[in-house]
Amino acid sequence: MKKPDFEKIKNTNFKKLAHDFVYGKPHGERRLGELYIPGTGLYKHREWRGIKDTMYAFNNIWLYNYGMLVKDLVVLGGGPKGLVQFLKGTMRYRWMGQTYLTVMHWVDRNLEGMRGEALRGSAWHFRGIINACLVQITQMFNRDISLGGDPKLWEKTMGHDETLWGGVFYPFRDQMTNIPLQMIPYFVTCHCNNHTVLNYIDAAQALGLPGDPCPMCQAEAGIFLQDDVPDFFKAFVTTNEACDGSVATSVIQDWMINKPLFAMPQPMQFDNEEVLENCAKEIEGAWKFTEEKLGVKFNWDELVKNLESQNELQRFEWEKWDVAANTNSYPINGVAQALYRIFQGQYGDLPIWHEVDAKVRKIMDKCVEEKINTFPMTRHRVIAWSCAPLYYSAWCTWAYNCWGLNTIINMDSLMFDMEIRTDSYENCLMDMARYHEWAPMRRMAVGGLQHIFELWDNMEKFNCDMVMMYDQLKCKGMQGVHGLFEDEFRARNINAIWMPHALPDKRDVSRAEIRDIVNDYMFTVMGEEPLDPSLLEFDDANSW
Amino acid sequence: MKACKILKKTVGALAAVYAGLFAVYYFDLDGKLLYYVVEPFMIKRFDNMKRRDPLSVPYDQIDKEYM
Ligand code: SF4
Repeated sequence: MKKPDFEKIKNTNFKKLAHDFVYGKPHGERRLGELYIPGTGLYKHREWRGIKDTMYAFNNIWLYNYGMLVKDLVVLGGGPKGLVQFLKGTMRYRWMGQTYLTVMHWVDRNLEGMRGEALRGSAWHFRGIINACLVQITQMFNRDISLGGDPKLWEKTMGHDETLWGGVFYPFRDQMTNIPLQMIPYFVTCHCNNHTVLNYIDAAQALGLPGDPCPMCQAEAGIFLQDDVPDFFKAFVTTNEACDGSVATSVIQDWMINKPLFAMPQPMQFDNEEVLENCAKEIEGAWKFTEEKLGVKFNWDELVKNLESQNELQRFEWEKWDVAANTNSYPINGVAQALYRIFQGQYGDLPIWHEVDAKVRKIMDKCVEEKINTFPMTRHRVIAWSCAPLYYSAWCTWAYNCWGLNTIINMDSLMFDMEIRTDSYENCLMDMARYHEWAPMRRMAVGGLQHIFELWDNMEKFNCDMVMMYDQLKCKGMQGVHGLFEDEFRARNINAIWMPHALPDKRDVSRAEIRDIVNDYMFTVMGEEPLDPSLLEFDDANSW
Repeated sequence: MKACKILKKTVGALAAVYAGLFAVYYFDLDGKLLYYVVEPFMIKRFDNMKRRDPLSVPYDQIDKEYM
C-alpha cells in the first residue's frame, strides 16, 4: 500500500482549500485545460466553480435544460405522438441522431469558466436557442411524410432557405407554418457536434463538385445528396444564401426538392432605392406564391402583430448593446450573444425569445445597478468581424479564460439593426425588404466595402481595442478584401488577429491551430502572458 | 408513524437520485456515454442505412410559372 505523503499533507493550505471549495479557484489558478480527456473534449470531471455557481450550473443549467428538453418535446410535439415522431426522426436522420443528443456539451463548452451573473445571463441564451431548435425539430418531424407525419400539416407548410428571414411569412402565421430547411440539419449541427457536417461536405465533393467553394454551400447540397432531407413542406422559397457561393447549392436543391419553388434572391448591390423596390416586389411575389400554393390569405393584422413583437426584441437588443458598449456589467459572453442574436434575427419572432429576454433583463439590470464587473479578468475588449468558425464558436470562452480577451460584440449580431415600421403597407414593405437585404453575412461580409468597413464605427461604439478578424479561407468575398483590411489595420494602428478557418469544416484549420495563432499573437505582438497556461495547448481534435 | 417512515424513505430515495445525478453531472458521465457508446452506434447505423439515390430525381422544371 502506498504510504501517505505526510510532507505534502503538511504543506497543504487547508484554509485556502476550503476557500476554493466554497468560492471556487481564482481565475489564474483554475487550470481548466487539465480538465479535458485528451483528444475527446470530454471532461475528466466538470468544473468546480465554488458551491453557489456549481450548484447553479448543475440545477439551473444541466438538470433544468435536460428537463426542459423532455418538456419541450412533449409540449411542442403535441403529446405522445410527437415523441414517437421525434424518436423516428432521431433514428432516421444523421444530423439529428448523431448530433443533437450532445446538446448539453455544447452548452458546457460555451460556459466554461463563467461565474456569477455572466454564467446565468449566458446560460439563458442557450435555453432560448435550444427551445427554438426544438420548435423546428418537432415541426419538421410532425410533418415529415416519410416518417408517417401528418399530411394536413404538410399541406400548410412552406420550407425555405435558412438565410431567408422567417418574418417574410408573418402575414400567414395564423394559417400556416414556415420552417427553414437548413438551420437545424446544417447550421446548428456545426456548433453542437461538428462531426456530422463532414459527411455532407464529403458527399458534395464525391459528386465531383470542387473542394474550394464555401463549405456551407457544399454541406447544404450534401444533405440532399445523402438523402437526409425530411419531407415536411409542400412548396419551397429559396434564396442565394449570403453570396453567389451558393448557386450550385440552389441548382441541386431545385433539382432534388422537385416541388413548386419560388426564388427570392438577395440583391448583390443593395444600397440603391431601385434595388430596394425590386426586393419589395420579390417579397410580394413570395406572398402570392404562398397564397397560391398553400391556400392561405394575406393577413395584415397578423403581419403587424408579429412585426411589433419582433420590434420589441430589437429594442431590448439595443439596450443590451448599450450596456455592452458602455459598461463592464454586460452579463453575456461573446458566443451566447452571437448565436442567440443570429438565430433570433434570422428565424423571426418566437415566444421563447421574450421569455429569455425578460430573464436576461433582470440579470442585466442587477449587474448595472450593482456595478458588477461581469468579466473581471478582461484585458482587451474584442470585436469579432466577418464570417465566424462554426465548429469553434466557443473560442470566445477559451480566449477569455486563457488570455482575458473578452468578445464584446460580433458582426453577426449587428446585421439586423432596425425596427420595421407598421404604420402603412408601403413603409412596412420597404422596411421588410431592407431587413431581408441585411441577411447574415450579406451586409457586412459581401455587401460592399462601405458595409464591410462598418467595423471601424462599431469598434468605437463598443469601446473595443482589438479585432478578431475571421479569415474564412473559402469565402471568396472576404478573401478579396483581405489586403484592404491589412492596410487599414496598419493605418489605424489596430491590434487585429487573423483567425483562419473553413466555416463548418475543422479539417482545414483545426481548433488547436486557431489557438496557436492567437497564442503566438498574444506572446509576440502583445507581449502578454496567459492567465491560464493550461489552456495554451491541449488536444481536442476529436471533440464535438 | 408509518407515514413518517414512508416520508423518510421517499426523501432518502430522492436524495439518492439527486446525488446520483450530481455524480453523472460532475464526472461527465452523460458525455462519456454519448461519446463512447451512443455516437459510435449511431454512426454505424447511419453509415449502413439504405438511402434513395437523389440523383435519380428527374432534372425537370415542374413549376414553370415561377421561373
Ligand atoms: S462564408 Fe462567404 S462564401 Fe460562405 S456563404 Fe458566407 S459570404 Fe458566402
